[in-house]
Formats: sequence, structure tokens, C-alpha cells
Amino acid sequence: MMKSTYQQSVLRSNLSVVWNELVKNIKSLLAYPAILVFWAIFPIFWFIPFILQGQAFVGGFESASFAQITGSGEYVPFIVIGAVLNSYVNTLLYGMGENIRKESYQGTLDYVLAAPCNKAYVLIGKALSESVSSTIFAASQLTISVILFGMKITLGVMLPVFFIVILLMLGLYGMSLILAAFSLMYKQSYDLSQTIGYVFYIFAPVRYPVESLPTWAQIFGKLIPLTYALIIVRSFMLLGTDFSAVYLEVLALLIIDIALLLAGFYLFSWMEEKTKKSGTISHH
Amino acid sequence: MNKSNKEHRLREVKCPTGFNWSNLKAELKAVWEANIKDWKIEFAYPVSFIRQLISPLVFLLPFLLYGLVLVGEEGYSENLAQLVGTGDVVAFIFTGYILMGFIGTAVWAMGFSIRRERWFGTLEAIYVTPSSRLGQVLGMALHSTVHQILGTIIQFIVIYLTFGLALKIEGILPALAIFALMMLALYGFGIVISALGLILKEGWVVSDSLYSIMMILSPVAYPLAVLPTLAQQASYIFPTAPALIGMRSFLIENYRPEAAGNVFLHLLFLGAAWILFGVLVFRLVDVYVRKRGILKKF
Repeated sequence: MMKSTYQQSVLRSNLSVVWNELVKNIKSLLAYPAILVFWAIFPIFWFIPFILQGQAFVGGFESASFAQITGSGEYVPFIVIGAVLNSYVNTLLYGMGENIRKESYQGTLDYVLAAPCNKAYVLIGKALSESVSSTIFAASQLTISVILFGMKITLGVMLPVFFIVILLMLGLYGMSLILAAFSLMYKQSYDLSQTIGYVFYIFAPVRYPVESLPTWAQIFGKLIPLTYALIIVRSFMLLGTDFSAVYLEVLALLIIDIALLLAGFYLFSWMEEKTKKSGTISHH
Repeated sequence: MNKSNKEHRLREVKCPTGFNWSNLKAELKAVWEANIKDWKIEFAYPVSFIRQLISPLVFLLPFLLYGLVLVGEEGYSENLAQLVGTGDVVAFIFTGYILMGFIGTAVWAMGFSIRRERWFGTLEAIYVTPSSRLGQVLGMALHSTVHQILGTIIQFIVIYLTFGLALKIEGILPALAIFALMMLALYGFGIVISALGLILKEGWVVSDSLYSIMMILSPVAYPLAVLPTLAQQASYIFPTAPALIGMRSFLIENYRPEAAGNVFLHLLFLGAAWILFGVLVFRLVDVYVRKRGILKKF
């Protein structure tokens, strides 16, 4: 009985850590409204050139050559979906690694790591706050795209799409944890996260179908969670397929997620111990 | 000590005042040293250096691959040929995109030169040196321009070997002249951004927003004809649109310029206007931040 009460109390404390970390990060985001507006609107400006390029090259909104590879000639929704899902990479991948680094800049990292709680819950709180902000930004970009480009979205597909987005976020959490671990030890995680961002941008089908890449690059692209998320979401939204048509991709995404999360948690705990022992946690 | 003594003259610190040859030489030396300092910092982080060197290629590839998926592997667009006379999508995109990196030079390298010194904690030290603050910005611009040229050479080699590039060799010299005029105007634009970096806490938001807008208004991967009329007119305020049209007309076979008029004169005018505007804004902001004592604030 006593053990049960103790376990309940521990669970409550841990949930409180997650909640307070979430609230802290959201408050920090709301303190900079210019950044909030920027991420909600400006990523659209990054893919508008691709839509204009399409108009200049094919003279309309459909391309026969594009249809041969992707199954749908409409390049505008293809580009919009790619950009919106890629915005999760931008915010989650850079956000988590930089979040730890930010604590270090602000001089609060020592306190966070010395707090009498499991650090995994602090990270979960940070990850959740990044997810909430990423989803708000993605929803805003999608809404503006629907208004600007007349994209048609069936509400029925949004639930399975949301499920896939959660799977994508889990994979990105894993990668972010790895980056956060490197950030603890080597401080300059920025270059590493930027390089991973480049790899995602080139090898995942963000702007073009993966089939347009050479075979070796396609194989490499299949190791990236974003590749599967994009293939599945585009199948749902553009081709109108259901889970049975893409169950292999869903399974692959799930396996990559588990591998990345396990590697992430293990690396973070290991690096945390190492930095505590070496006394370099608060070093810049 | 006798003032005509050679040792005394060597120790004498001359404070530069007025516009003369001696001061100009001193300012150019300050620009050169700021450039050298940036190279030294860059070489201290080799991973970052290599990443930045290949980034022009990373951002160009999606435009090329997407363009080829749209028109098919032969890389010829009928619609583009109707609009500008040439349907060669690889040459069109490549000649457009090489300039985009230099916009980044103006917006990021110059715009953030002052901000970076603030991060490093060296801004106040630089501000009290007897040299122009603009020299510091121009030194960083010089470093960034050379860096970008190196990236563009890598970009050219990879694209030439992978996709093949059909450019007119005889057009390279006039294209370089246009490029130089465009850089002059972009430096003016960069000075404005660096002034904003002095007063705005989150200057990167403004820089990134301006970069995004400039990217849309520049005919990098599409001709100006696909933009709405108002956007087409707005694009002539920035040097990239006339520079791209001018360079393409010298470099691409059968290219039909989308705008009439002398590109050289247009760019000369824009260069003078942006430099004057940039220096004016920088001076005003410089005086403002020193009067208010907000130089050190983040």
C-alpha cells in the first residue's frame, strides 16, 4: 500500500517536471512574438520559388513528367506537404539540441541537471514543447497554403496524417536526443545539426520524389524517418490510399523510431555522466 | 626628444581625420585585417568551414532535381523557351542560383558582422578603435565574398560534371562586370542590415525575412514573367533582378532578356543609391546607439 502511494507520488512529480518544462518553454517562445510570427509564416516563402519554378517550366499546375514518377501531376500539394513536414525537422532537430545549449548560455543548465529529478523527464518536457510549437507552425503554414494555392484537403485523412506526424516526431526526438548529448559534451552541436539538416534536405523527398535520385542516394534516403513520413502522407493526401497500401513504410518508420529513441536516451545518459565527472557542464 | 627624430616619428600615433590618401590607406588596412581575422576564426573550425563551403551546392541541387522531374530527363522546357528564348533548365537555374549565395553574403555575413562581435564580447573594443565601423563590416564582407566564390567554384565543377553546362565562354567577362556592379549594390544593402543588427534584439528574423522576400523577387529559378506585375516592379529595386537578366543574356545561348534598358546603368544607379542609403542609415543608427548607451545590450 505504502509502495503504491510512493509510486503515485513519484509519477506525479515526474509529470509535474514535464508540465513545468513545457510551460517554461512555451512562455519563453511567447516572449518573442516576432519569432513566433516568423516560424508561422516565413517558411512559406522558402517554397514559393519552387511553385513559381513549376509554373515557369510547365506553364500550369500539372506536369506529365511529374505524374509518371509520383502518380500525381500536381506539384503544388507535393511541394507544400514536403515543406510542412520538413518544418518539423527545422524546429525539432535544431530546437532540442539548441535548447540544451540555450540553458548553458542562460546559465541555468547546472541547475537543471542538478535538480533532484530524472533528466529524461526534463527532456520529454522540452520535446513536448517543441512538438506543440512545431504543430502550431505546421498548421499555420498548411492553412495559409490552402488559402493561397487552393489546395484541397479532405478532413478524413487528417487523423491518419496526424498519426504519421507523431511517428515522425518520435524519430526526430531520437535524433534530437543524440544531438543534445553531443551538445553537452562538445558544446558546438550547431554544425552537426545543420549537416544532418542538409542530409535530410538532399536525400529525403522534400522537394522532389526520391526516385529522381541515383540508386545509392535512394538507399541512403531510406534510412531517414522523414522519407517514410513524406511517402505515407503524400499517399494519403494526394493518391487517396489507406494504411494497407503503405503498411511496410509505416513499419519501417516505426523500427527507425525505436532505434533512434533507444540510441538517443542511451547516449544522453552516457554523455551526462561523462560531463558531470569531467566538470565541463557549464563550459561554453 | 626632438620631434624630427626618426624614432619619435615612428612612435607617433596619427589619428585619421578627413578624406585623404593616408586615411584611405589606413582604412583599407583595417578592412584587410578584419578580413584576415575572419579567415583565422573560420580555419579554427574546419567542420564548419567545409559545411559552409558545400552549402551553395546543397541548396542548388533541389532546384535542379525538381526542375528535371518537372520537365523530364532531357532537361528542356517548352514553356521556359516561350518565355525567355531558352529551354535549357540546368543553365537557367545554375546561372540564377550562383547569385543567391552572394545575397546571403550581404544579408548574413555583413548583416551579422556587428552582431557577432557583440556575441564574442569584442564589439566595445572595436568601437573605441580609431577606425571606421564600416571598415569592420566591409572586412567581413570581403572574407564572405571570397568564401562564396570558392563555394561557387565547387558548385560549378560538380554541376558541370554531373549535369553538363552549356554556357557561352565569351560572355564570362561582361558577366563578371555585371556581377561586380551587383555586389556594390548588395554591399549597400548589407550595410543597412548590419545597422539594423545594432538596434534589433532578434535581428536574424529581419535578415531572414528580407532574404526570403529578395529570393522570391529575384528571377533565380524562374523568369520575372511568372511574378505578379507589382512584384515584377518591386524586383527592380534590388540589384539581383537586373544582374541576373544581364548575366544570363551574356552567358546563355538564345536567351531573350525579359526587361529592356541598359543593365550596366541600372546597376550603377542601384549601387550608388544603396551604398549612400546604407552609409546614411548606419551613421544614424551608430549615433543613436552610442547616445542611448545600448551598444552592449542583447
